[in-house]
Amino acid sequence: MLSREVRILFGKEWRQLLRSRSAMLTALLLPVLMLVVVPGLQMVAASAGNPAAGANIPRGVMLPPGLEAMRDDPKAMLRALLPVFIALGGLIVPAVTASYTLISERESRTLELLVALPVRVGQILLAKLLALLALAGVVTLMLFSIDAGLILALELGSVGYVLALLAVLLSALTFSTASALLVSLLARDFRTSNNLNGMLIGPTIIACFALIIALPSPTLAALVIAALFTAGAGASIFVAMKVISFERLLR
Amino acid sequence: MRVLNESLQEEKAPAPLEVSEVTKVYPGGVQALDGVSFRIAPGERACLLGPNGAGKTTLIRLLTGALRPSSGRVRLFGYGVEDADFLGAKRRVGIVPQSAGMYRDLSVDEYLQLVCELYGGGDLAEVVEAFGLKPYRERKMAELSGGMQRRLSMAAALVSSPEVLLLDEPTVGLDPVATRDVHGFLRKAMAGRTVLLCTHNLAEAEALCESAVILRQGRVLLHERIDTLRRRIQPVLMLRAVQGPERLAEVLAARGCESVREEDAVRVHVEDPEAQAPELLRGLLAEGIDVFECRLVMPSLEELFLDVVGAAHALA
Repeated sequence: MLSREVRILFGKEWRQLLRSRSAMLTALLLPVLMLVVVPGLQMVAASAGNPAAGANIPRGVMLPPGLEAMRDDPKAMLRALLPVFIALGGLIVPAVTASYTLISERESRTLELLVALPVRVGQILLAKLLALLALAGVVTLMLFSIDAGLILALELGSVGYVLALLAVLLSALTFSTASALLVSLLARDFRTSNNLNGMLIGPTIIACFALIIALPSPTLAALVIAALFTAGAGASIFVAMKVISFERLLR
Repeated sequence: MRVLNESLQEEKAPAPLEVSEVTKVYPGGVQALDGVSFRIAPGERACLLGPNGAGKTTLIRLLTGALRPSSGRVRLFGYGVEDADFLGAKRRVGIVPQSAGMYRDLSVDEYLQLVCELYGGGDLAEVVEAFGLKPYRERKMAELSGGMQRRLSMAAALVSSPEVLLLDEPTVGLDPVATRDVHGFLRKAMAGRTVLLCTHNLAEAEALCESAVILRQGRVLLHERIDTLRRRIQPVLMLRAVQGPERLAEVLAARGCESVREEDAVRVHVEDPEAQAPELLRGLLAEGIDVFECRLVMPSLEELFLDVVGAAHALA
């Protein structure tokens, strides 16, 4: 399915990613915090509390649809927040790791070496993005399996809810990888790349919170978020290829 | 008959490098190339010359397939970048990019292996030996000196024994010793290959190439053999006399010869040096001018370039 050139370049990218201490630290540390430490502690704390006690919300106070369940179920807040943590975990790894593979290649002019070889610019980028996706996928899926185990073991959510969270994670990884391509075409250096990532991830997370609050069920909210991430990934790839074009990398 | 068939086949075979009516306009409206056409024949060693901003780098990037033309076609062995077999054609071309960066996390050996894999083969040991890279095989690419980095770029371009070499400013930024070193390698590598050498160094172009493509403001001014180009400019006789350049110039003017003073010598343009020089010398001696040096100076590529491009544009 993948061309010979992409497979060879993927091998090079994977080797370089594993050798980069900064990339590996970013790829491991942030997801451990976002996907395991923070949600894990909350899950353990939520399950240790009194399951019968609801949140102390005065009667007459109107709550948005997504938070209504909190009146009777203290774990509802956690269920509402988990898709956001999962999304953040999926968004951060490819976006930050992309700086090490795409921006550094551009900054150090090593891209000129690759372009001189019998490959197309699109194949170079595809190999890089696949390496990013592979690393981020391996790390986040392993960590997510811990979350999934805890959710089911502590009866914090159903199998359907876990699958919806998985959809959020996979679509967030795809969106983040696609937007990393966009950022790498627009940014010439690490600083600009980090600024653009911040401009992209910040509003995305706020939008995720807005959806969680607006929609009546966390499972539904997770599925809508996953659908929007998938659409966003498609839009990012379209803009990168058709509007900005790969030629920008060499200018 | 066989010879005729072979020559017909040769004529039909697509050129290794061909640029037809190529225009390149960058986003923002900057026009880098405007209707550029030329064809590098098999075995031709051509240099691509032009002042800064002439479009040389854009042209090289179009030939490597890194950029696409806004209109027109760029072909390697008959294949354009949009063709499925373009990569097959690119495997027949070795490219030395202009002062490319070097990886900090890949060794010389790892990089050359990657190049071999992408070209689908090559004799790694041979190029390592030929370019003196043996002691540096395990060293990270970025740790090499500038000269060794350029050797590595050339080794990578030659590892698969390509038919065509595309050299983009191969000696830019190198010290004279490293430049001479690179020239030595290039002379060997260019023998028997089709070459397009993009350079600012006219002496380098003259020493390594036999034809020149001159670009100015995104257009091809000419594509000719350097020998033919030389014939465009009259050769010059450089004369020195005991009486000094002023007196010499006076006598030459009296004889109707147009001359130019140059420090202690006088330059005289002649159409046919073999026929005119002896006559001129006899005349000068007869008038009491003791000429002690008479030397024929052929125009250098630099003079040809300035003549074609115009000194003002060349400095641009």
